[in-house]
Amino acid sequence: MAMRGAIEARRRWSAKGVGTALCIAGAALLATPRPLASLLRREDTLALPAAWPIENLALALGLEFIALAFWCWARAAADGPNQVRRWNWLRRPAQAMWLCAAASFLAPAAAPRSAAAQFLPELAAAAVVWAGLELMAALPLARPFSDLSGPLLAVRPWLPALLPAAGFVVLWQTASQWTGSEVVRRVAEALLLLTALLATLRAFGRRQWATALRWLTVSESALAAALIATRTLDPTVTLMLWLGACGGRSFMLAGELRGATPRRGATLSRLWRAAGFTGSSALSWPLLAALIARLPRAVFSLAPVPATLEITITALEIAAAAIAVMLTAYVSVGRVVRATERRSIMRPDPAVTLSHVSALLTLLLGPAALAIAVAIGTHVEWLPTALGLVPALVGGTLAMLGTRGRVPVVTGFETVGGISRRGARDAFHAVTAFERRLVGALSGMARTVLAPLRDLHTGDAQEYLLFLVGLSVLALVLPFLR
Amino acid sequence: MTLTWLGSWTVWAPVLALLAAALRLGIDRGGRGPWTALAPLLVVAPLAIAVQRTLALEPIHALLVAGLVVAILARDRDDLLQSECALKLAWVLGVSIALSWAGTELMAAVTGTRLNLEQWAVLAVPIASSDLWRVALPLSLLGGLVMMGGAPFHFWPADLFQGGRAWAAPLCAAALQVSGAAWIARRLEGIDALPEARLVTIGLLSVTTGVALVVGAATLMQQRRPERRIGTLASLQGTLALVMLLAPRGMPPGWFEHWAAHLVLALTGAGLYSRFLPVADGESGTGGVLFRRHAFSALIGLISGFSLAGVPGTPGGSLWFDAARALAATRHPGLLLLLGVAWLASFSTVMRQWREAAGIPDPPPPPTLAEKPAESEASTAPPVTGVPWQARVALWIASAGVLGLGIVWAIEGR
Repeated sequence: MAMRGAIEARRRWSAKGVGTALCIAGAALLATPRPLASLLRREDTLALPAAWPIENLALALGLEFIALAFWCWARAAADGPNQVRRWNWLRRPAQAMWLCAAASFLAPAAAPRSAAAQFLPELAAAAVVWAGLELMAALPLARPFSDLSGPLLAVRPWLPALLPAAGFVVLWQTASQWTGSEVVRRVAEALLLLTALLATLRAFGRRQWATALRWLTVSESALAAALIATRTLDPTVTLMLWLGACGGRSFMLAGELRGATPRRGATLSRLWRAAGFTGSSALSWPLLAALIARLPRAVFSLAPVPATLEITITALEIAAAAIAVMLTAYVSVGRVVRATERRSIMRPDPAVTLSHVSALLTLLLGPAALAIAVAIGTHVEWLPTALGLVPALVGGTLAMLGTRGRVPVVTGFETVGGISRRGARDAFHAVTAFERRLVGALSGMARTVLAPLRDLHTGDAQEYLLFLVGLSVLALVLPFLR
Repeated sequence: MTLTWLGSWTVWAPVLALLAAALRLGIDRGGRGPWTALAPLLVVAPLAIAVQRTLALEPIHALLVAGLVVAILARDRDDLLQSECALKLAWVLGVSIALSWAGTELMAAVTGTRLNLEQWAVLAVPIASSDLWRVALPLSLLGGLVMMGGAPFHFWPADLFQGGRAWAAPLCAAALQVSGAAWIARRLEGIDALPEARLVTIGLLSVTTGVALVVGAATLMQQRRPERRIGTLASLQGTLALVMLLAPRGMPPGWFEHWAAHLVLALTGAGLYSRFLPVADGESGTGGVLFRRHAFSALIGLISGFSLAGVPGTPGGSLWFDAARALAATRHPGLLLLLGVAWLASFSTVMRQWREAAGIPDPPPPPTLAEKPAESEASTAPPVTGVPWQARVALWIASAGVLGLGIVWAIEGR
């Protein structure tokens, strides 16, 4: 019995170790495709040809490693079959990235001005966006993954937050590739803003703070990727803004697993509240400003039908982004509630902890990134910029009104809060149920089309012979029917 | 006489495949003494030679290969699966070769010559109706198309891998496919002299290739038996050769030999490997014996399947990309898209297959006192055995061969 236990423990340990190593390798590949590519292209190393898409291959391999890490952890978990089924979809983004690498590899071989020469870069852009969007829960195939815990016991609630981050990194690293295709860029932008809205609704609707934080990570990664799609800011500034927003959320989530450290003490709670609000507002501000600035251009466009469509789409995008930003600000400020101290004797903590330092960094990173953007000459239109800040301020103010001293300033506010949370939950469920039905209907149609083909094929030897004879007769008759 | 041919992988690949077949034979016929057990190698050796000869094969050789394969399969009449496979192959190959022969004779009757180059020259003179040669040309290609195993003739490689013996199936499949490709290549020799005939052929081969890619991809996604999946991957390999025959600039020199060497080695490895994998039951099954007992050999054995499916970095991957590049150079992106679909289906199938093979380690709960077997029962129960060492060595040989191919091609700068 003891020996069986020891073997079991060893197996789990080795799965944990292998999974962790794979995950680290995957993250490293996602983070450094360009240095790796330049290293491998150098004459004194492998001197690989410049036409090889090593960056894309590194990203594909990185995603494959992360999928493999999840699989390793899942199969060793106590509820292995469930976990394996739950995280199976992670191979799809990796597969999409391999497709992107293949299309990029083939593009130079296409005949000049041929259909393939136009189609291959578009395919590569679509594939990379597919990979990024699916990791950010922006496609209906695996939308609700952030509701579920990860497969590795030690960091189970934290692990799913890794996936939207990976999705953002993929889209950030390949920004030049997919933003070059106008169709892909606009579709991605719309899907990302819808995702940001849905994720924020979910974060707002969930009572559990850890789950809400995971959904906020999804929402902010989607907003950051949408910012890339608008091509407003320098990529490094966008990365800093994303780090300021999502880095803080990830730290808070990790802190929740270690005794809710970011919410211990009044100062720390206040600091994290400010950091969360500042990080998310700094990220969403340029995005909203860019979307609002696009509206007058569409209104004064000379083409009547495309302009109407453009106005409608832009208005919907602005509405989705504004609601998402407002709710994010509300959750960031309103939900960071100071954790109650249950110990009779307080543990002597240092005055400045890692949590303090992280909160300060998060607080400073967003404004610093915006300052850099202004310093390097980013064009600023004052009215859209001013309007872009409104949703975050409204969300933050409403949260302050609702939580200050735990006494509602406006009578009946708690009731409104409860109703709106239920509304958010129902809206999320309605959208995901519709998407599930749509996907189910499409796969059902595919099955319906394929089923007769399968039924026609009995597998008998006679069937093959008859088929061959039929085909030959057809080959004989067809030329005469021309 | 130069001995450089000894260094060529086109020679070593069939030899390694034969060696792996010998090791597998050792398991199947273990109780008969080494010489009796290995006697069937004499029968499969001509198939290995056929794979090595590649483009030098004449149509008569294809006929001999088909006959030999059917004879190997038909020998054991008590094995129902194998006999059925022999019957299907005999009927389909027999009829298709007969029709092709009829097409070839018709071409000879129309043109008055049996030499390809002369036939195109005669047909270029517009003195008679073109209807007859337009019928004869596709018919004469039919035998080759069936032997290459592309859909709608993709059933036979899957049947062969499921029904045939593990030591014979890879060599039989590879020899038939190589013969089929040589048949078509030989039939199309010099066709550029008659653009009309080239157009007819391109139309036929494009449709065939498109159907083969779509049906192959759809079949792969539906299949659950690992042997049948390997068979369908083999059929897609045949389609790759068809794609290269379609290439506007023709097949690059040496490509066909590389394809044949890779095909025989990868099919040997993947065919052996598939015998130790479980039938797909989702990725939450308990996995196969190979992964449970010999994880390292199992991981090494993956190489052949990965290479067949064209996973980037494997030698098979470079063959898939050669085919894709050939299509990208044409002005028809439809086939390129279909090739991409087939590649994605192959790639995801082999990834799913290895995860199914590894499964979820699920040790049974410890027996309670009531369930504990009696001492006598425990002693008579058969011991839990793993995969025989011969099979593992054969896997290693095939995988080493595929890896070696990759290294040699990388050095050659393919």
